[in-house]
Amino acid sequence: MPSGALLFQSVILGLLLGGLYALLAAGLTLYFGIMRVVMIAHSAFLILAAYLAWWSHSRLGVDPLLSMVVTVPLFFGCGVLLQRLLLARLRPVTLTMMSVLLTFAIAVVIEGLLGYVFTGTQRRIQLGYGSASFGLFGARIAVVKLIAFGLAAVALAALYLLMKKTTFGWALRATIQHRDAARLVGIETDRVAGYGFGIGLATAAVGGTALALDTTIYPSLHWHWIGPLMAIIVVGGLGSVPGAAMAAMVLGLMQSLLQIPLGTTWAQTIFYLALFATLAFRPQGFFGGRLAQRF
Amino acid sequence: MPSASEPTTAPTAATAPAVTLARRPVGRIVPAVAVLVLAAAVLSFPSLAPNPYILSAGVVVLNYAVLSTSWNFVGGFTGYISLGHGALAGLGAYGTALLVTRAGLPSFVALAVAALLVAALAVPIGFAALRVRGASFVIVSIALVLILLLVFQSWASLTGGSRGLVVPRPFPGLLRPEHHRVFYFLFAGLLGLALLAWWLIDRSRFGLGLKAIREDEDKAEALGTPTFAYKLVVFVVSAGFTALAGGLYALWFGDLDPVFQFSILTGSYMVLMALLGGVRHLFGPVVGALVVGFALEYFKVEFGNTPLHLVATGLLLALVVLFMPDGVLPAIGGLLNRLSRPTQSSIREVTAAQLRDERAAASAAEGTRDRGDAAAATAGGRPQSTRERA
Amino acid sequence: MTTRFRRMQWMTALGATMTLALAACSGDGGGSNTADDPIVIGISLPLTGDFSEPGKGVQRGYEAWAKITNDKGGLLGRKVELKILDDQSNADRVVADYEQLIGSDQVDLVVGPFSTRLVVPAARVAEEYGMLFVEPAGAAKEVFEQGFKNLFYAAPAVANDHYNHLADYLLALPPDQRPKTAAYAAMDDPFAQGTAYGLKEKLAAGGIRTVVDEVYPPNTTDFGSIAAKIAASRADLVVGGSQYQDGVNLIVALQQLQYQPKLAAFSTAPTNPEFAAAIGNKTEGILAPTGYTQKAPYPSNKEFVEKYTAQFGTPPEEDEANAYTTGQVVAAAVTAVGCAEQGACQQKLVDWVRSNTVETVVGPLSWDATGKPKGAHMIQQWVGGEIQIVLPADAKEADLIYPKPAW
Repeated sequence: MPSGALLFQSVILGLLLGGLYALLAAGLTLYFGIMRVVMIAHSAFLILAAYLAWWSHSRLGVDPLLSMVVTVPLFFGCGVLLQRLLLARLRPVTLTMMSVLLTFAIAVVIEGLLGYVFTGTQRRIQLGYGSASFGLFGARIAVVKLIAFGLAAVALAALYLLMKKTTFGWALRATIQHRDAARLVGIETDRVAGYGFGIGLATAAVGGTALALDTTIYPSLHWHWIGPLMAIIVVGGLGSVPGAAMAAMVLGLMQSLLQIPLGTTWAQTIFYLALFATLAFRPQGFFGGRLAQRF
Repeated sequence: MPSASEPTTAPTAATAPAVTLARRPVGRIVPAVAVLVLAAAVLSFPSLAPNPYILSAGVVVLNYAVLSTSWNFVGGFTGYISLGHGALAGLGAYGTALLVTRAGLPSFVALAVAALLVAALAVPIGFAALRVRGASFVIVSIALVLILLLVFQSWASLTGGSRGLVVPRPFPGLLRPEHHRVFYFLFAGLLGLALLAWWLIDRSRFGLGLKAIREDEDKAEALGTPTFAYKLVVFVVSAGFTALAGGLYALWFGDLDPVFQFSILTGSYMVLMALLGGVRHLFGPVVGALVVGFALEYFKVEFGNTPLHLVATGLLLALVVLFMPDGVLPAIGGLLNRLSRPTQSSIREVTAAQLRDERAAASAAEGTRDRGDAAAATAGGRPQSTRERA
Repeated sequence: MTTRFRRMQWMTALGATMTLALAACSGDGGGSNTADDPIVIGISLPLTGDFSEPGKGVQRGYEAWAKITNDKGGLLGRKVELKILDDQSNADRVVADYEQLIGSDQVDLVVGPFSTRLVVPAARVAEEYGMLFVEPAGAAKEVFEQGFKNLFYAAPAVANDHYNHLADYLLALPPDQRPKTAAYAAMDDPFAQGTAYGLKEKLAAGGIRTVVDEVYPPNTTDFGSIAAKIAASRADLVVGGSQYQDGVNLIVALQQLQYQPKLAAFSTAPTNPEFAAAIGNKTEGILAPTGYTQKAPYPSNKEFVEKYTAQFGTPPEEDEANAYTTGQVVAAAVTAVGCAEQGACQQKLVDWVRSNTVETVVGPLSWDATGKPKGAHMIQQWVGGEIQIVLPADAKEADLIYPKPAW
């Protein structure tokens, strides 16, 4: 029943959405790789960044994209501090479970503070080009969605280059693969882990800005994001950044296409069905992910 | 890399030597008296409550206590932290309500059937969730809440969706204060049942095997404990009790809405309560429920109409995780021991070796494994554990 | 090990006993009714959480009513005092709040909270304690199907009747001008869905084909896919069962896809003062039902708008007006019956409201046996950069524009 035009439009929307998922899931994967930590607060920081973008636009009149000049370094610093001051304090034997609770607590605190400062009112950045779009083979692509996708793509590419081409990236990958061995070859794994956390949180700053461009934000929105993101990192294989990116694109596309026959609510269940299917049939994930078997 | 599936460790070594020095003239009478006093306090509460509101607050706290005790079957014995138990309570609530409204079963038959159904459903859920350890288990538990929320919202023709579901009162003739009183005793009975089950498992070989999983799953498996089967069984028991609590709540409260039944916050409150009280203690979750129940009320009064109550709840959870991962009960126990130490030191000085042990154990976070009861199961044979058992 | 464990249990028991005893002692009686005491009105509102924005609007409406009433000497010669608790947008809390207000604080009267999801559980508490329960926000028809005998909705019409005037208008058009197809998108919320489905039932019965029927959860933020479906259907008419922000998002997403319907109707959102800026001022022709207008000619409304604006600096919106109306209904009952306290008085108040008509800022209100108001909503449309009443004909400020200009 759906026409070709609608299918094509949905594919485009799905890819644009998948790009954002990919960036956010990359950050979540990074934390897990470094410390075996499931960072529930990732999406809370995402919403925080979105609020900062909204605030700088509506109160200071600055283009929301410029807010990243502040938020990216700020979040990087927060990530380093979060790792060094809080997560590193937890007992290693109970780290995975306790870090979930600790980051959960952080998420709730951020939500509460956002509600306190900005109230529970839903906010949306009002851009002059908010409803502008251009045609592509009969489909319409909204300018803001394309900017958001571009941001995600650039950030992911930068992350990839950082991981593959720099000494720090080499140290980070070594730390992820085998922390004790990395320490033995002279890598300061504690510092690397802290910086790795900072980078993960910096992706949330970019993602939050991209998110703020085209959607409504409100303090409790982060619950809406954390579920799909966690499903993505499991499907992609815990600890594998390319795996998470692949899973994000595939699931984003499927969500968008399933909305045509099923409607918005049922389409969201695809993330959790994929999660349960992955754990039942292929616990190590569908796109790599060597770590998942053990954790 | 050590096993990552352990939520708490027992009291740190700093308190351990002192414990052995504590007087133990109390014998077996004290716990019996304690249970009696506790039961008397719980049962006399309704007649002391000055108005129905206090009584209904008591019902809520008892519900919390049952929920966190049910959670503690998994969390306390195996160390697997589930944030998704809210979903099981929601399933119990909706199961009971649907069996009453759609299948026409009597209320309490529906409650029992719903709890059995949820327990049965917990088998495949547990099968998927417990195959994986640590991180994946937590993710599955959260995903469970989120997917059930979506399903119960969307499947409006069955569940009523966002319009909600009204559960008929089991005792339609009762006035509201009487309704609260009856359900207060029902919840108290359920709490007693859950505590009894926990106590029995705690003393059994089955419980010993579960605690071995908590301490070191790989080692337990190597020693022949059927870890997966044990985990699954205790998960199903936990799910059954959680569903009973949820179903009883549905019969008491009367109105169900997916948004409130399938909420991650509910599950996180259960974890907070159990952790705060102490997951290794029979009454830990009950104490946690009392504290959290009062804290939530206090935050609400204190912070009025700002969402700072969320901040306070979050900070409380963070403080417990960072500084009291063993819960309030061991922390208070440790404090009392420290206070009574001067009298003890006149009897017996702490040796230099003990001091060194204490310092080492207190400073090095790693390696402060529990050397409590589970030491017997894993046969760790560490020096500290033998000393404590001595 | 065992010793310590035993002691733990003992301490637990002791602690629990003390806490319980404390809890039992802490409740106070209160609630004597001498003539000089204020009349305390208990309210639970969502001041934090998902419904906090409209919740605060309702709070302002109640506060304005209390102030205006007290400035005129109060009720029955007694001052009016509001006791407002925050229910955190949570059904468990709203019930606990009314338990506290009625049982522990011994308030004299209670009035309703905000949002249908919270009204039903709250009304049950009030009903079972025999309290009159006039409420400003439970507009969905389900509220009136619960068999409540003490509940009254203080607004002109329930959600499903909001678009009645529009349905009559469309179905009265000549067949060649009448829209042929309609697309509906509604938030999964009893109120928002009620508005859209009320119109859908009437139009479908009148032969206007439904081509899209979407329901989205309240937390939806990305409307691209829903908009794509609506745009692909090329429906003549698009109806949004919306609250505020989802309506804005859906309109923007539709505009991004350059979909141009002949008529666009959205609940709630278009009447918001920030609406025009939020969708980039492309508002021309958008329709919305409303139960309240600041320009309404009823005598109490002039006073309300004037004094509310003086108190809060901005003119009142619909949420504020509904709360004020609630206050007016309760005040009328109390004045007529001559009492305001718990007990037998409440049933007298209920009986009075059931059998009388009350003059309010939204016009004269009366109720059927289920507490449903017997009125209809007006239809407003953005005409010439301003939202104006276009239906019904006897109240209109401008002519309805159909088909609407492109957005």
